[in-house]
Amino acid sequence: MFKYLKSAPFLYQLSLFVLLSITASLMSYKLFVLDYELADLIPTVGYEVEVSMQVSGHGEKVSLSTYLPQTSMYQSISEERNSPDIFTTQIKVDGLNRIISWQAPNVKETHIVRYRYFAQPEHVKYKIDKDIVIEKELPKYLFSYIQEEEGVQVHDPLIAATITKLFGEKEPDTYTALYTIHNYLQHSFENRNFSGFTDALTALKLQEASCNGKSRLFIALTRHLGLPSRLVGGLILNPGSKKTSHQWVEVYVKGHWIPFDAINNYFAEIPKNYLRLYYGDKVLFKHSANINFQYLFHISKKLVPRKEMRETMYASPLNAFNMYKIFESIGISQNLLKIILMIPLGALVVVIFRNVIGFETFGTFLPALIATAARETGLWWGLAGFFFIILISALLRKFLDYLQLLHSPKMAVMLTVVVILMMLMTIFAVQSSMFDLAHISLFPIAILAITAERFAIIQEEQGFLKALRISFFTAVVIMAAYAVMSSHFMNSLIIAFPELLLFLIVLNLWLGKWVGMRLSEFVRFRKLIFKAER
Amino acid sequence: MKLQQLWKVFREGMQNVPKVMGMNRRNLAYVYPNNPRRNFEYANDKLLTKRTLEHAGLNIPKTYFSVSYFYELTQIEAELRRLSSFVIKPASGSGGNGIVVIVDYDEGRWISISGKEYSFEMIKKHIADTIFGVFSFGLNDTAIIEERVVQDERITVLSPQGLADIRMINYKGKNVKAMLRIATEASDGKANLHQGGIGLAIDLESGKSFSAQIERENVTHHPDTGVVLLDVAIPYWKELVVLCEAVAEVIPMGYLGIDIAISEQGLVVLEVNARPGIEIQNIADEGMIERLESIEKGLKCLV
Repeated sequence: MFKYLKSAPFLYQLSLFVLLSITASLMSYKLFVLDYELADLIPTVGYEVEVSMQVSGHGEKVSLSTYLPQTSMYQSISEERNSPDIFTTQIKVDGLNRIISWQAPNVKETHIVRYRYFAQPEHVKYKIDKDIVIEKELPKYLFSYIQEEEGVQVHDPLIAATITKLFGEKEPDTYTALYTIHNYLQHSFENRNFSGFTDALTALKLQEASCNGKSRLFIALTRHLGLPSRLVGGLILNPGSKKTSHQWVEVYVKGHWIPFDAINNYFAEIPKNYLRLYYGDKVLFKHSANINFQYLFHISKKLVPRKEMRETMYASPLNAFNMYKIFESIGISQNLLKIILMIPLGALVVVIFRNVIGFETFGTFLPALIATAARETGLWWGLAGFFFIILISALLRKFLDYLQLLHSPKMAVMLTVVVILMMLMTIFAVQSSMFDLAHISLFPIAILAITAERFAIIQEEQGFLKALRISFFTAVVIMAAYAVMSSHFMNSLIIAFPELLLFLIVLNLWLGKWVGMRLSEFVRFRKLIFKAER
Repeated sequence: MKLQQLWKVFREGMQNVPKVMGMNRRNLAYVYPNNPRRNFEYANDKLLTKRTLEHAGLNIPKTYFSVSYFYELTQIEAELRRLSSFVIKPASGSGGNGIVVIVDYDEGRWISISGKEYSFEMIKKHIADTIFGVFSFGLNDTAIIEERVVQDERITVLSPQGLADIRMINYKGKNVKAMLRIATEASDGKANLHQGGIGLAIDLESGKSFSAQIERENVTHHPDTGVVLLDVAIPYWKELVVLCEAVAEVIPMGYLGIDIAISEQGLVVLEVNARPGIEIQNIADEGMIERLESIEKGLKCLV
């Protein structure tokens, strides 16, 4: 009996049992006691926004400013990064808005200032009850929202005449007022796509306007009826680059600011991709005179874990995030932790490709590490950079071989050249504004040098074609590992349930005992297996 | 109909799968349990292999001397100049890397098998490189200077481009499968299967070749000379079978690839491999699991 307890099969089964039960009990504790929602693991859409401003000066003092979006109940803004070039930056809050300004005393030639953030606006939709009357007595802080201002001629006779035309002598309730004005602007006006300033009266006279003209007219009409309203400036987030911003309107009803967009026909609603940048009738960019100024928004879509997920996890005591905070206190960011936690998953992908599918790759875990590094550079730049480095250093290795050097110094030379190549690529990438490629310096340097050596040896011993074949398989495994490791579902899953790493060990223990034929061996031994074929 | 045929091929194929050895099974079921890690040295360190076999009275290429330390290089010149043919081999090399075959000595210079001339300085440099591990992944190594094997004429007919060798798979002392690996022009004089060498399957009972392949294509004649490859009797076959079993007896591992050359003087053990490849199944056109399992069964009966 005791002998059995000490035997390898028993210890193997015991390990499987212990690891599985720890995983299962931790997970069920979180699911049933802490109420983690599995549905929250499915990622949601967010947008990576970059605003880049190009300035060319002739030695004068230059200042620029623009509005930054703020986190509110309608949108969340995170991961803000400022690349100020030569400028000094200042951020201040002015009323409802957040203003960022950049200054430099002596600007010569062309400089580019970038500001990046991650934005997740929410879809907003209100239902307005039909029996809400327009209030006559407004609290003081709303006074400014019914007054006349530049471009919004609330008390002009033409506005008054339009109100009479729309509603007659009867005083409308809030819903009828907003519905009528919205439809009037939506149907009786042409949409125009030009960027100049249009005031409310001009829009009314021409019966056509761009978003700012229509919005000002909307505000003039609602304020005339005594409904507090304001302009909202923002961006419609669609992947791509653009210069156009957008304006829409919010009307105050019973404690809520309700959105309307008469250009794109959203009534008491705005969709998920409307990002609010500022409130009020503002100019988005301001800059010193006498400089050449250009700006561009670049927007890309990203999938990220749901907010609810993050919140549930923050709330619970046995949660992953509290654990992660310990790491944060010593300067290891959550992002880095996320990457580290995904490496075992990448390793499992490599194991499956090597032992079940039968792909020959360079290095055992090289594909997983390259896939990890490619999270910063993007998959294609990662692959391109990887193969560029391998090819160049394999060529170098051929040359070093000709010189007949000893192994260790030779490898040190290769390593140094890999470092130099990566530095050059980074500089080149920054110079030509390929910022994703610039992250190439995160690649595992020593492993690249060893891989180049392996490449060269295989090329020498088994031919260039064989080396290319292995490179191709390596690329495929890198792509697979990348796909799994950057999947937001897997990310959320492992971050919420880090005990799944134990389950990964179980899978590897099982694969470590698997004697089945690799898929590639079905091809290799096809003549022996599929004899009837002949 | 077509689909039914495919299904039939697939179903019959699945029945054949357990007869063929894959990499995973080789490692888990044969190499790991039978070849303990600490005994890998008997295969990886060629000096140890040779000493062990020599001690048991088995035939190996005679070792003239070996060089492990740099200071020894100053003392080898006189000894070396007495030799007109020899082979320099790294003791821990693999895949034929770093092997120099000298066939002649003329006016103070040696001639290699490929016709290259070597001065004493060049030989010394090659030995120094070997010691520093240039050919063995950065590990310090020993250079073995040994007798050159001149192969039997009957084998030279089959493999005029270079030294051919018999690869025998042996499991727990019993021979499993054998093939003769033949050098070709395409394989650059090396009897290396994945570089275009010929694999010639040999029947264990009769010692006659029954199937030949180059890079998984069946052939019947040598591509360079046109010599017939099939149904050729391998000389000394009875002795070879016994020799392999004797090698397996003294090497403390249970699953081996044994490489044997057939020289003018008879059989010579070249190397022992602790992780023998599985390509031999394709060469022999038969999986090796059935044979391995029958050996296992036979052993159990004896016990």
